[in-house]
Amino acid sequence: MESNWAAENLQTIRTLMERSAVYRRALAPIMLFAGALGVVAAGIGLGCHLNSMRAFGTLWLGTAIVVVAGTLLIARRQAFKDREPFWSPPTRRVAQALLPPLTAGMCLGVVFTSADLDDGFTVLLALLWVLFYGCGLHAAGFFAPRGVKLLGWAFIACACLLLLRAVITNSDLNLKAHWLMGFFFGGLHLAYGAYLYLTGKGKNAA
Amino acid sequence: MNPEPFLQLDRVIHEKGRLAIMSMLAASPELSFTELRDALAMTDGNLTTHIRALQEAGYVAVAKSFQNRRPLTTCSLTAAGRKAFTGYINLLERIVQQNRPK
Repeated sequence: MESNWAAENLQTIRTLMERSAVYRRALAPIMLFAGALGVVAAGIGLGCHLNSMRAFGTLWLGTAIVVVAGTLLIARRQAFKDREPFWSPPTRRVAQALLPPLTAGMCLGVVFTSADLDDGFTVLLALLWVLFYGCGLHAAGFFAPRGVKLLGWAFIACACLLLLRAVITNSDLNLKAHWLMGFFFGGLHLAYGAYLYLTGKGKNAA
Repeated sequence: MNPEPFLQLDRVIHEKGRLAIMSMLAASPELSFTELRDALAMTDGNLTTHIRALQEAGYVAVAKSFQNRRPLTTCSLTAAGRKAFTGYINLLERIVQQNRPK
């Protein structure tokens, strides 16, 4: 039927246009900002010996809130500069993809922190955060440059390997939770942000 | 059934590969050759042929530059291309409307 192929063509066009409009706005500054804050928070945690579950959870939940707020401000400023709508369809899709795993991670953090579990659980919480965040990045990667999805896989793979290693060797990981957080949320973000800058892929269109 | 809208369809755009390229470019200010190739899962040769056809029709502009000493080819829709694409979509919508059961 003539109308069938016409409708199918329209649907194909819609899908391709949605796929094309990937989120790129201020990705490099956002990654560098998140990475820098991750490193600073890890430094504070290690320097001030914030090793109890309550102190660890409070520090990193607070950092997460600052990072989310800062990220929104950076994206908004860039949109304002480019005279584009802030809440554009790509921005909305990325936010929707990130929201469930970030909410779950945040909720888990609040539960662990409130329960004030043994200090050894900080590593478990850090790895679970890495895992949830990786899932979020991977989901957001469907509406963002391919590197975001790969970064998500890196988070997921590392967290799974470390968790499996702990189970198989039946021992704790002998790792400092702040080091883990600093490496993943600081180092990896900084590395990806630097890559975006150096390769000129930090384009701003959203 | 009125065949008139079908006959008016732009033959340059009305090809699966070229329609996909036009759709991608319509939603983005510009896209690199690699981004288009990866997103549409086309071979280099296939994509080059389609882009050349669109370029010859005046629908797509191709810019070649260097980024970190590596050649970078970017494609974007021209004003004529955007107009032709809008016209194509309007025609498709007319066809769908025309054949919708009353």
